Amino acid sequence: MTILEFKSACETIAQEYKTKINAAQSAAEVEELRVAALGRKGALTDLLKGLKDFSIEDKKQAGPLGNALKAELTAALDEKAAFFAAKEINDELNKTNIDLTLPGYPVACGHKHPLSVAQDRMTTILARLGFEWAEGPWVEDEKHNFDLLNVPLHHPARDAQDTFFVDTKAPLVLRSHTSNVQSRYMEKHKPPLRIMAPGRVFRNDSLDATHSPVFHQIEGLYVDKNVSLADLKSDLTAFMKGLFGDKAEIRFRPSFFPFTEPSVEVDVKCVFCQGKGCNVCKQNGWIEMLGAGVVHPNVLKNCGIDPSEFSGYAFGMGVERLAMMMLNIKDIRAFYENDVRLLRQF
Amino acid sequence: MKILYSWLKDFIDVDLTPEELAKKLTDLGIEVASMQTTGADFEGVHVAQIIKIEDHPNSDHLHLVTLDKGSGVTQRVVCGAPNVAVGQKVPLAKVGARLGKIVLKPAVIRGVESEGMICSSDELGLTHTRAHGILVLDENLPLGTDVSTLYGKADTIFELEITSNRPDLLSHLGVARELGVLLNKPVKLPQIKDIPGQGLALPVEIQNQEGCGRYIGRIIRGVKNVQSPEWMKERLAAMGLNPKNALVDVTNYVMFELGNPLHAFDLREVEGGKVVVRNAQPGEKFTVLGGRELELTENCLLIADGKKATALAGIMGGANSGIQDDTQDIFIEAAYFNPPTINKTVKKFAISSDSSQRFERGSDIEGALLAMRRASDLFVQICGGTASEINDVYPQKFENKIVEFTPGEINAILGANIPEDKLKDIFARLAAKFDGSGPVWKFQAPTHRRDLNHKWDLAEEAARFAGYDNIPVSATRAHVVFADNPKGIDLGKMYASALIGAGFCECKNIDFIGEKELKLFGADERFCIRVKNALAQGWDYLRPTLLPSLIKNVESNLRFGSSDLKLFETSKTFQNIKGFPVENYTVAGVLTGNVEENKFFATPSRPVDFYWLKGLMQTVLCKADVTFAPSKTAPVYMHPKISMDILQGGKVIGVFGKLHPLTLKALGVKTSEVWAFEWATKQIEKNYSARDFKPAADVAVFPPSLRDLSVVLNADVTYAQITSALDKTPLDVELAYHLIDVYQGERLPQGKKSVTFSLAFSKKDGTLKDKEIDTAFARIVEQLKTQVGAELR
Repeated sequence: MTILEFKSACETIAQEYKTKINAAQSAAEVEELRVAALGRKGALTDLLKGLKDFSIEDKKQAGPLGNALKAELTAALDEKAAFFAAKEINDELNKTNIDLTLPGYPVACGHKHPLSVAQDRMTTILARLGFEWAEGPWVEDEKHNFDLLNVPLHHPARDAQDTFFVDTKAPLVLRSHTSNVQSRYMEKHKPPLRIMAPGRVFRNDSLDATHSPVFHQIEGLYVDKNVSLADLKSDLTAFMKGLFGDKAEIRFRPSFFPFTEPSVEVDVKCVFCQGKGCNVCKQNGWIEMLGAGVVHPNVLKNCGIDPSEFSGYAFGMGVERLAMMMLNIKDIRAFYENDVRLLRQF
Repeated sequence: MKILYSWLKDFIDVDLTPEELAKKLTDLGIEVASMQTTGADFEGVHVAQIIKIEDHPNSDHLHLVTLDKGSGVTQRVVCGAPNVAVGQKVPLAKVGARLGKIVLKPAVIRGVESEGMICSSDELGLTHTRAHGILVLDENLPLGTDVSTLYGKADTIFELEITSNRPDLLSHLGVARELGVLLNKPVKLPQIKDIPGQGLALPVEIQNQEGCGRYIGRIIRGVKNVQSPEWMKERLAAMGLNPKNALVDVTNYVMFELGNPLHAFDLREVEGGKVVVRNAQPGEKFTVLGGRELELTENCLLIADGKKATALAGIMGGANSGIQDDTQDIFIEAAYFNPPTINKTVKKFAISSDSSQRFERGSDIEGALLAMRRASDLFVQICGGTASEINDVYPQKFENKIVEFTPGEINAILGANIPEDKLKDIFARLAAKFDGSGPVWKFQAPTHRRDLNHKWDLAEEAARFAGYDNIPVSATRAHVVFADNPKGIDLGKMYASALIGAGFCECKNIDFIGEKELKLFGADERFCIRVKNALAQGWDYLRPTLLPSLIKNVESNLRFGSSDLKLFETSKTFQNIKGFPVENYTVAGVLTGNVEENKFFATPSRPVDFYWLKGLMQTVLCKADVTFAPSKTAPVYMHPKISMDILQGGKVIGVFGKLHPLTLKALGVKTSEVWAFEWATKQIEKNYSARDFKPAADVAVFPPSLRDLSVVLNADVTYAQITSALDKTPLDVELAYHLIDVYQGERLPQGKKSVTFSLAFSKKDGTLKDKEIDTAFARIVEQLKTQVGAELR
């Protein structure tokens, strides 16, 4: 056999087997072709046996040619074999027939209370604005709940019809606002200080759709050099943006609280109608959100901070009010009834 | 405080619409709670009489009504009111008539032209009752009468919410002054004809000058107690008052007008020829108008004559000296009483009046004289009579202190940049005296503004009158100090999220419970904090445990048809230790029904049992250094045998297990299978820090060798006893184990049980040889044999 004849034989084998491999219909057929081409008595094996009669020169040409063809056919066979192996598995899988629309296993899933949902959102934003979490007792003395906060002795808030009094050795009250944390904190810490105080407060109000003797507030206090009403507006704007998105806007209305001067009511532009007027804002375009102001110099003085050196702002907001608005809960009592049909929605 | 727009206009020229005025007031911090339109706000409506009613050809309920407008002119309109009847005199609005903001246009109603409309009282804006039917007028009214003349002129009543620092706004004059500053308009005081006094008023003796800073008295003799004129009656009615007679009405009128309360005594009843302002004797009894008898204390301030008390100062007159229908001579009082003095008495007796509401917040001490002059003038005009001289006892003239400040300080407080000119303008209008010529400005507030004492107060005034929109919004700037959250807060959140992960719903309950619950939970009321002024029975104490509220939550949820409940709460519990309050952050929960909220169709339902609860406790408390031990004595509210203590450092910090069926029954729960847990976090807080990072232990490189161990022993040996023996086995290798099976039954002798463990032996530095494992296994078998009598099965 000449080298030319060898080459031509190679081409013939290549052509024949590539066509056959391509046309193979099963894994078994592929294996038959493997034996037919590459087996001990296979066509290519037979052809290669003839190499031993070639001259060294011819072997150098024919050898690589034969090996390349062997590799080529092996690869084609492997690929076809893999195709049939995968097909076999997929055919098997495709026989599966389960109803995917049946319900899933009830994996445990608990629910945060809606007030916690609201409070967590608010404290998260305040924490990002650098407010440190501070706390104070719920059973409080009048000094920290009223006196230090510049609430005059004969102020109506100190009446039994507004505040709960308890039967302890010293005359104590259930704190009527989270502002007791202000006086507690300022007594112990020097400015700069920047705190939030979320928590429960108590008022002697009968339980009805809009009042509860127990409710939640979040207090904010910032005292440093040169803190102004503009800082309050800036920080509260940032807070409301965190709560309602980048378009949130606030406005101040003058008000009165004993512990701040100037005092303001803070309204936020209605997030439901963008200020156009809707049912939530009672066609007003604005929603009353919280009370705030510049810390009264007497409060600073009472807590041992020099009002000629430092100034501050404070704010207090109701968690229920916000949660009712955001979650469309119409009756404050729903928060304290703990009906799982409501709780499981959050 | 109610303000009548037309009355306000007596004091200041304003031509704002009621809506515009309300906006201005709101911007000043005077909240307008409501606005009510009164009087006739319509034109072109006249009296007409119905002379014929025919059916509408195209409608079952409409009628064609023909009316006589007077002088024989008739008109036909379509009307759907059910109450039309021939002969009625009714208000007929012609085409072009104005009803409020609506102008009537010609209309064709179901094919018939209507030349006007018969009005209901709602349509005329006289009522807001939504009642059906036309307004039927007095049959004696002449035809053609302009109906608007039958009602007062259109007016608006503003209901204002006045904050407690602004008593000066409790009058029409006060609101006018506020608007005067805002709108830069002069305030016109009422025209008062000065009455020359004839004869002396009563001498006045003020015994308590702190309680009474000024007392002005005047006698008017020979008055006739007539009906007040219509204009005064109308204004008082707008204030929500029932006009009585001129002598009473004038004092009220002046109070609503100028803000200073007045009191009129019947001079017949004033004995001893003098007036004394004094404190009550302890135990002194006094009967106020209306007949209520008060037992006074020495803190109560009284007005007395030479013999007896005649009025509870500033609050209410006595039943013994009030104005009668036949009163002829009166003594009028205009005074200033100290707010705390009045407030104490008001609070003590829960007695209040329009007068006390003004005195206890602070009336204008200077305004008292004006009020006296105004009242005298009105009395004489309306009731006639001769006035005496005015006796004005005013020992110490009051002036507000002078506030010194710079405009820079005002802007610094506000963080604003209000121009100096504008500030000057505002302060000059606001002040009694103002000097803004130097770098340091001097401001003295008028006597009706005792609330302006320092630069912070003036900053607020500047912001109010310049507008709060002048406060800019800039970037947040803050010096931030980092500190950890309070530990109790962090732990509460950690446990809450673990429990929520395990399928629990978070509850929030009101912190009050009653004696019944205290007893049921074995809490001694002496160690509980009692609320002195509880809102309701059953809300007398602060909760020493969260469980009663949660059990009630189970009860109500079961009642509403929910089941498979897993509820928890994190809040504070309260104790009273030797008279001092102790507050503890506490975690508690209750479970009933199945582990899964909804049964899965393919598996049997799985009721909560003790081991599920214990597993939950192990998971939730895995990071706390706690141990569990069967309660030596279960709490009264727990199952006596299924109650486990949670211990930390040897102290019991909580409990979990099954609730006692009697506890559940007492709280009305309709199942006896409820599980509960509760622990206080105080002990855990001590060892907790948000910054404590526990170093990680190496993970073993070599896999362990596993062997099963099955032993038989007496059934009464507890698992704890077995593992305690197992843990103490002296071994040269490391051992980890877990329980695979506990069996008791037919295949074993009576009183015996078998326990099977999977043991995992390992060594840090290599794989174990069989021999090493054999030795260790044999030691364990020996240990269990000697310690707990276990035989290899």
